[in-house]
Amino acid sequence: MNGVYIIKRLFTSVAAFCISVTIMFILLRLMPGDYITMYLETIYRYAPPDVVEAFNHVYGLDRPILEQYVLYLLDAFRGNWGYSLIYKVPVLTVIGEKLVWTMVILVPATALATLAGIGIGAYSGWKRGSKTDIALLNGMIFIRAIPSYWLALMILIIFAYYLNLFPLGGYVDTGALITGIDPLDVANHAVLPILTLFLFSVTGTYYLMRSSMLMTAGEDYIVTARAKGLDELTILRKHALKNAMLPMVTMITLECAGMITGSIFVETIFSWPGLGMLTYKALAVRDLPLLQGILLVDTLLVIAANIAADLIYPLVDPRVQVGDNG
Amino acid sequence: MHGVCFMIEVNNIRTSFSTGFIRRRVVRAVDGVSFQVEEDETLGLVGESGCGKTTLGRSILRLIEPDEGRVVVNGTDITALSRSDLRRFRPRMQMIFQDAYASLNPRMRVRESVAEPLKIHRMGDRAAIDRRVRELVEEVGLNEEHLNRRPYELSGGQNQRVVLARVLALRPEFIVADEPTSALDVSVQAQILNLIRDLGQEYHMSCLYISHDLGVIRAISNRVAVMLEGRIVEIGKTADVLDRPSHPYTRRLVAVPVRETPEPLESPVFPAAPAMVEERPGHWVEETTA
Repeated sequence: MNGVYIIKRLFTSVAAFCISVTIMFILLRLMPGDYITMYLETIYRYAPPDVVEAFNHVYGLDRPILEQYVLYLLDAFRGNWGYSLIYKVPVLTVIGEKLVWTMVILVPATALATLAGIGIGAYSGWKRGSKTDIALLNGMIFIRAIPSYWLALMILIIFAYYLNLFPLGGYVDTGALITGIDPLDVANHAVLPILTLFLFSVTGTYYLMRSSMLMTAGEDYIVTARAKGLDELTILRKHALKNAMLPMVTMITLECAGMITGSIFVETIFSWPGLGMLTYKALAVRDLPLLQGILLVDTLLVIAANIAADLIYPLVDPRVQVGDNG
Repeated sequence: MHGVCFMIEVNNIRTSFSTGFIRRRVVRAVDGVSFQVEEDETLGLVGESGCGKTTLGRSILRLIEPDEGRVVVNGTDITALSRSDLRRFRPRMQMIFQDAYASLNPRMRVRESVAEPLKIHRMGDRAAIDRRVRELVEEVGLNEEHLNRRPYELSGGQNQRVVLARVLALRPEFIVADEPTSALDVSVQAQILNLIRDLGQEYHMSCLYISHDLGVIRAISNRVAVMLEGRIVEIGKTADVLDRPSHPYTRRLVAVPVRETPEPLESPVFPAAPAMVEERPGHWVEETTA
């Protein structure tokens, strides 16, 4: 690995960021409806043109679109991502607050899903064709086939409504108004969202690990290991697992970034006050600056995950030499 | 039988694969094969691709479980061994594959690959193992500096040498070599071939050498068996079989220039397995109607 490579990589990342900003800017402006008109119409059933005009003037929305774009692009790099129209505070402040809550459910869900997916997938692939493998595979396909929002609703109805094991939604009890936020109470509220995110994420990891293990298990060096008289557990642990894990590096890093978007439904359904629900809210009222901010955070996460995967890969796979063009 | 001690006795071995879910189709890859390999002898196995050579090689070592038949290695019936007994027996019979690169764990250095069999079968302490690894690596024509390389940093020929060192580490009595040179350049091919032959003699190994290349077979094997559609149709001394072939398929195989696959015979050639007749002493051939 060398410095030139890292610089090149950073440069392409910046380019990717600019392109994302551009696409986002265009797409969001293609959406019908704008914040102030929709806001006024919900309250007064009618939007006075002079109020709309005044609002647009204050927020600079009456300037030429190209000027808005250039200003936005420059400010995006300066860290000035604008003000949220709903919250009237800087976009980054809002996102920062909500991101913490998203992480509360996202980190455990992703960690559990990764561990379980790798473990079950490796077992399934190693015991390919066995009854357990077939059962696991079909079970995973079944879970994957369920749309995430429906899965979330069913989990909510079964575990919270009928069985009454967990709260129906939110992140704290009303008691928190008096006693303050209790971590145990938050954990109790987080179980179902985590379960839903886990179920949705574990299948992807499982598939990839299983097929990766299938490929590895057929390699000649595995047959050789068996011919040498190694016991199955040693072959699995020493020869198969590490080699089959390689494709997982990319998967895991991208999964971490992708889960944020995946949590929109789950957070909305469980009324979890995270980034996902924020996205939903911002979208519903056309809070463009906030929406742009959230999407930019997503973009940055994906870019960071990609760089991380590139940098981690040579550490785990001796064959890969980053930046070496042979 | 003839007062000769057979290293390997393969008796009527059959292996089949089934495919298809609703309509099960059974393919008999190896269909009743018997032969013997004497001590220090190399038996060549020729036949076009898809005739069951590789399946036979793997079935003999029980890397694929055969459906029926017996394999006796130096007096031990390995088809009767339990899984754990078989695992303890494994070091005595080894296999070399066509693709040396694929048969080495990409994460392991040469040193680790060669040392692993010594470690798992507890052949000495660390210093002794280290010494033995160096010895082996030198014996196969590599040197110290290769010890810390990984498979992707070596050439095809060098990798095959590493595989050879790893096999020799166990001092096996019997090896199955499945086209170990066919993925290599011609010049390298000759080197590896000589190495296998010389080391085979030095270590007193019996060998089943699988190849589709008659030139290679002629160079390395004492006797040769010709395989067609899962059966051995002719077996005998190498020169005898290749220079005076009796079976129509062998004749066709010998007639075509090296490296070209002969036109397949109109199938089915023989509805049922015909008996073998001894044409000349030690030269057996399947009875043909012609």
